[in-house]
Amino acid sequence: MPVHRAILHVDMDAFYASVEQRDDPSLRGKPVIVGGHPKRGVVTAASYEVRPFGVRSAMPMARALRLAPHAIVVPPRFAAYAEASEEVFAIFESVTPLVEPLSLDEAFLDVTESQALFGPPAEIARMIRQRIAREVHLPASAGIAAVKFVAKIASDCAKPNGQREVPAEETVSFLAPLPISRLWGVGPKAEEALRRDGLLTIGDVAARDPRRLEDRYGPSGRHLWELAHGIDDRPVVPDREAKSIGAEDTFEEDLEGEEALRPHVHAQALRVGRRLRKAGQKTRVVQLKIKYADFELVTRRKTLEQPTDDGQTIYRAALELFSRIDLGRRVRLTGVSAQDLGEQAQGQLGLFDHLPEPPRRSDRLNAALDAIAARFGLKAVTTADLAGHIRFGDEDDEARRKVGAAVFDSPTARRK
Amino acid sequence: MEFKIAADELKKALYRAQGIVERKTTMPILANVLINASKSGVTVTAFDLDIGIVSEHPAEVMKPGAVTVSAKYVFDIVQTAPEPFVTLKRLQNNYVEITSGPSHFKIVGMAPEEYPKLPREESAPLVKVNGGVLLEMIKKTQFAISTDETRYILNGVYFEPREGGKIRMVATDGHRLALIERELDGDFKLKSGVIIPRKGLFELKRLLDEAPDAECHLGFAENSALFKKPGLTMVMRLIDGQFPEYQRVIPKEGEKQVTLPRLRFLEGLRRIALLSADKSNAVKIRLGDNALRITSHNPDLGEARDDLEAVYRGPELNIGFNARYLTDVLSVVDADEVVFELGDEHSPGVLHAPGDRSYTAVVMPMRV
Repeated sequence: MPVHRAILHVDMDAFYASVEQRDDPSLRGKPVIVGGHPKRGVVTAASYEVRPFGVRSAMPMARALRLAPHAIVVPPRFAAYAEASEEVFAIFESVTPLVEPLSLDEAFLDVTESQALFGPPAEIARMIRQRIAREVHLPASAGIAAVKFVAKIASDCAKPNGQREVPAEETVSFLAPLPISRLWGVGPKAEEALRRDGLLTIGDVAARDPRRLEDRYGPSGRHLWELAHGIDDRPVVPDREAKSIGAEDTFEEDLEGEEALRPHVHAQALRVGRRLRKAGQKTRVVQLKIKYADFELVTRRKTLEQPTDDGQTIYRAALELFSRIDLGRRVRLTGVSAQDLGEQAQGQLGLFDHLPEPPRRSDRLNAALDAIAARFGLKAVTTADLAGHIRFGDEDDEARRKVGAAVFDSPTARRK
Repeated sequence: MEFKIAADELKKALYRAQGIVERKTTMPILANVLINASKSGVTVTAFDLDIGIVSEHPAEVMKPGAVTVSAKYVFDIVQTAPEPFVTLKRLQNNYVEITSGPSHFKIVGMAPEEYPKLPREESAPLVKVNGGVLLEMIKKTQFAISTDETRYILNGVYFEPREGGKIRMVATDGHRLALIERELDGDFKLKSGVIIPRKGLFELKRLLDEAPDAECHLGFAENSALFKKPGLTMVMRLIDGQFPEYQRVIPKEGEKQVTLPRLRFLEGLRRIALLSADKSNAVKIRLGDNALRITSHNPDLGEARDDLEAVYRGPELNIGFNARYLTDVLSVVDADEVVFELGDEHSPGVLHAPGDRSYTAVVMPMRV
């Protein structure tokens, strides 16, 4: 095994916006914003043409449109992004099984052992980017380094449509001029604290005595020093099964009180049930998520006695969780999810596991409802509290509404 | 309505009512008891639409009539009454006045006509049963009843007539099962088994516990059960559905059999479960030559083990169990020794007294 690992960080450039420009030639070379509602939504992606105006993803749409009133806004098509992502990941996986997805459009690849087959890491990166351009018609950038976080910074420096290699022996000098905020784990608060102590660049941190950093900031002080020296032995952890399946919605207007929230949570629970059945999975852990108007987020979870894929059962569990949440405040978002999926059904074995259990009434009902929905749409049959109140639409339409929902819904959910 | 009654007598009725009346209900009247005074005495009715108890009590009735009032508040009031007697009197607008010596309460009631009617089960053929035996059967099975409401069929105990006037009671939560067969005499005229709901069974147990030697009658009509003892009648709705084919999950005879001192085994499990890793009470059991070892391991706390002498020769077995499932059974077996039958680490364990399978418990292992 070589002394240094060879890690690639491959990141698609303005992924969603690039997919839109690929699929609609009239958008090419134009400032494109992929995003939701002009008042409440946020920017999901911004093309490189609009970035000079200061538009960034996750920025409120209202602000983005003030900065770039001429931008073309397109609603997200998550199904298309998921498809492109599948193709890109297939290319990664043809190079190495050690692919760690960070999201739909970026991943770490450990190509240490692939060099014998495909040549030096920079060559591998070039080959991957060429294949993505040729086969998926999308631009991608890559960073090449001996450790994960340096590869990530390197790909960022290479954007757009480029690649940057940081040889192991150049790591420290490469990092030194960068601001400390580029170090992993340094958020705005930590940045402020470090700045107050006169640590402005990664090089400043590297020059300090690690023991003094440890004294001042605890164990994370030492960790920062190690990162500043390019020491990061975290391995590339390949993809695991989807851990959760969920559905969530941000409301058009904030809601208050259990009565008002219930139908939304019900619709979400039914969606989760449908997705579980589609994926052939069952869950024992139901999680309810509430985001208040002030963006405070709370989650509560409940473990069921029996695994289920029944939306009504999930709804009942979610209702029980309501009692553990302050509902006297205005709520902006609710979400229901099935957690801890794919965990080895560890623990207690069942007496009747090997008996052909007569199908539960709910199973037969769900099978019938799924069949009706497949043929006539989700609106055809629903529960009385939802009829006429909650927006439905097909799963694709549903997916368009929320990033979270779409990511969970797609076959690339595990890449979340 | 107006009557005077011994506080203890009324307290007895209201105490029973506490287990029945619904506290959280969309029908407020279900939190009430119905008190009916007639020439022959007073009856107190508690009913949650599934289970109802009517009890008769001697009282000095000045004026017949009926009221319905909160079971909880009247119980609390009567329980703290300063004198041995209390007087209840219905006032205008369904108010009820409760007096005992110097103390005085005026309680909001509801119109007795609005109290739901209990089903009349005249048709049920009542069978005289031995209350002590029935109590034993309940105590030895009730812990295995499922509390998972999505498996409502398992939310009760299966009451099945067998040959020779025997009755079998079976309870299971899908992880363990308890079965007891006893003679209850008499013919219940049941075509097949019925499922008695958990709550009703608990109330029945409570009534039997009050006086196990009292003369008891039990009967079944189409979808309800009727229980009578002197001065008291209970009706309950049965669970409608098909109980699982429990016989198929009871192993014929385990390939490994070990005889253990019951109390030592019980205490050992309780001790070792103190350190089990999570809420599941997981313990490991290792069965070897004439020795059984119970261990547990908790990454946050430490580890524990307990060794028992055991009569066993055969291949070694390592198996995990929820200790609770075993201790539930061991605490109600009457014998000094128990036989523990095992197969492999994924097969159920069976517990029973030596040479007696009329009370048998089946427990599925845990993967550990």
